Amino acid sequence: MSGDGSAGPSPAPPLPPAGPLEPWPDTVRWQSISSDLIWVELIRLAMVLVVLALGLGVGWALSGNGFLGAALGVVLLLGVLRSVTIVRAVRAWGYAEREDDLLVRHGLLVRRLSIVPYSRMQFVDVSAGPLERAFKLATVQLHTAAAASDARVPGLRPAEASRLRDRLTALGEDRAEGL
Amino acid sequence: MSDPAARGTDQPGPAPAEPAASARPPEGVEPRQRLHPLSPALHGAKSLVVVIAGLSWSTLSRVGFGWFALMAVVLALGTTVLAVVSWYYTGYHVVGRELRVYEGLIWRRTRAIPLERLQAVEVVRPLLAQLTGLAELRLEVVGGGKTEAPLAYLSVAEATVLRGRLLALAGRVAAETGTPEPAGVVAGPAGLPTGLPAPPPGRPLHSVRNNDLLVSQLLTPQAFMIPFGVAFVVAQFLSEDSWSFIAVASTLTAMAGVLLQPVRRVLDDWNFRLARDEGTLRIRNGLLETRAQTVPLDRVQTVGVTWPLLWRVKGWLRLRLEVAGYSAGEADERNRPDRLLPVGNQATGEAIVAEVLPGVQLAALPFSPPPTRARWLNPLSRSVLGAGLDVRVFAVRSGLLTRQLTLVPYARIQSVRVVQGPVQRRLRLATVHADTAGGAGAAAQDRDLAEAWALAAELTARAHAARRAG
Repeated sequence: MSGDGSAGPSPAPPLPPAGPLEPWPDTVRWQSISSDLIWVELIRLAMVLVVLALGLGVGWALSGNGFLGAALGVVLLLGVLRSVTIVRAVRAWGYAEREDDLLVRHGLLVRRLSIVPYSRMQFVDVSAGPLERAFKLATVQLHTAAAASDARVPGLRPAEASRLRDRLTALGEDRAEGL
Repeated sequence: MSDPAARGTDQPGPAPAEPAASARPPEGVEPRQRLHPLSPALHGAKSLVVVIAGLSWSTLSRVGFGWFALMAVVLALGTTVLAVVSWYYTGYHVVGRELRVYEGLIWRRTRAIPLERLQAVEVVRPLLAQLTGLAELRLEVVGGGKTEAPLAYLSVAEATVLRGRLLALAGRVAAETGTPEPAGVVAGPAGLPTGLPAPPPGRPLHSVRNNDLLVSQLLTPQAFMIPFGVAFVVAQFLSEDSWSFIAVASTLTAMAGVLLQPVRRVLDDWNFRLARDEGTLRIRNGLLETRAQTVPLDRVQTVGVTWPLLWRVKGWLRLRLEVAGYSAGEADERNRPDRLLPVGNQATGEAIVAEVLPGVQLAALPFSPPPTRARWLNPLSRSVLGAGLDVRVFAVRSGLLTRQLTLVPYARIQSVRVVQGPVQRRLRLATVHADTAGGAGAAAQDRDLAEAWALAAELTARAHAARRAG
């Protein structure tokens, strides 16, 4: 266990941040998530697109309504745009373990950074859907008593996921305060 | 019906001769208790109202009064029969450190409510229950999605005794296991009110004058709508004589819907009295439905102050509090202890805030406004926005017309988030959220980016220090 430092890591007064999402560059070591998540997200997107395109395409072929054709075009265009952003969005995910809290950042358009103290942890969720399992990935989510707390780390290798889970659980038990 | 689990419930009635000792060994299994035998009748009467509302005016006009009454009676009788059946299969008893509640005929459900997680026990008396001398017992459990197990209904004496027992058990469990958590729940079992209509024990803090309450609810947008609504109805009535009773009744019902909120507030907050009893707040209010709430002070997650636009004439404000364990999405919002002060002037508000959050002076909070370029996002309200770090609380101010102030004690912060939208990114701004259990927490909008990071770091550090300090 990391000993109970009385003051914690005492986040240094922020220097002018290097990137918009990288505060405290000297105390925080960001870890990125597996880029295989790009494929998972792309396949998910493709499945939605195929269903939508099939529906619209069949409707178009049967009714000959021009609107359905236009909608099909829009859907495909949005799909292409989304697949470009998926790549960047996955690269934007990051997490960092500090002595007393877990930092998670994500989002491209709306950028989010969550700081969740280990001691506030209620439970940890490790989940892996069929698609994620196919790529040997898992998602770790830290739950606190606040519904708004947003500490979800997707795209972790199973070994890393269970290491993170164990570490979070150990630290949480160590410092449990709950409410 | 042939479930063996139901066999044990053959003991008739609520059996007032329960073992009164709360110092029973955990092994001793006491017999299952029934709810009060009048409860199905009350549930049936309650459902009659719902049934009539569900059938609505248009059905009345279509089928005529006789059929309408018949339908209502049949439906109400049906629900009463169901209520009797469910009453027969409902039981509760205390086993060791748990309260077990059994219910359901087809979907059998046994809930074990661990008493160490008990947040508050509330005795509620709706109008019908007041008439019949019954009461409802509501338990709030930490982490529970909604109010657990309303035991409806028990006789008042039973409810009070059970409440005392549960609180005593919760306190004893806490003392044994050494967790400081539910200690606030205990509130001295000796000081429990024996008769519900008695004034709350402890030091009275404030009582709201009913006059002020009425005036405050007349100073709401809804109340200002009344003349227009009445004028509309009268104009319609005069201009067309084809207006039937049904049409007028429908319009009046719709108006009543609009007016429901202020009327409800008046009914709910009537005789509002606030008292302090060591570590807990005692809130009593209600005209038709009297409720007595006990809120441990160390469970208060946020305190909100609101200055509605129309109340500024009087210089009034409203205080609200969020408590953990009461979920935000609960259908019946009135069950949550959210009112700290339905209406009051600045001095009263300051006094109560100082009582709930010691050391916080409402008038002397160190607010700093966001940078001037935030006016692109908040052209009118920029000067109102503000965030400040006080000694014990994080304070956030917002709202141009309805001014709002949120106070979050550092020790209650669950997590800190920094969120930056696309426009904010162009302007190098960010919003800092402090999340709490229960309620929305506080959000400092549109701070300068560097300042937002500093604020997030400072909040994290202060929350950490406050938790360490206990």
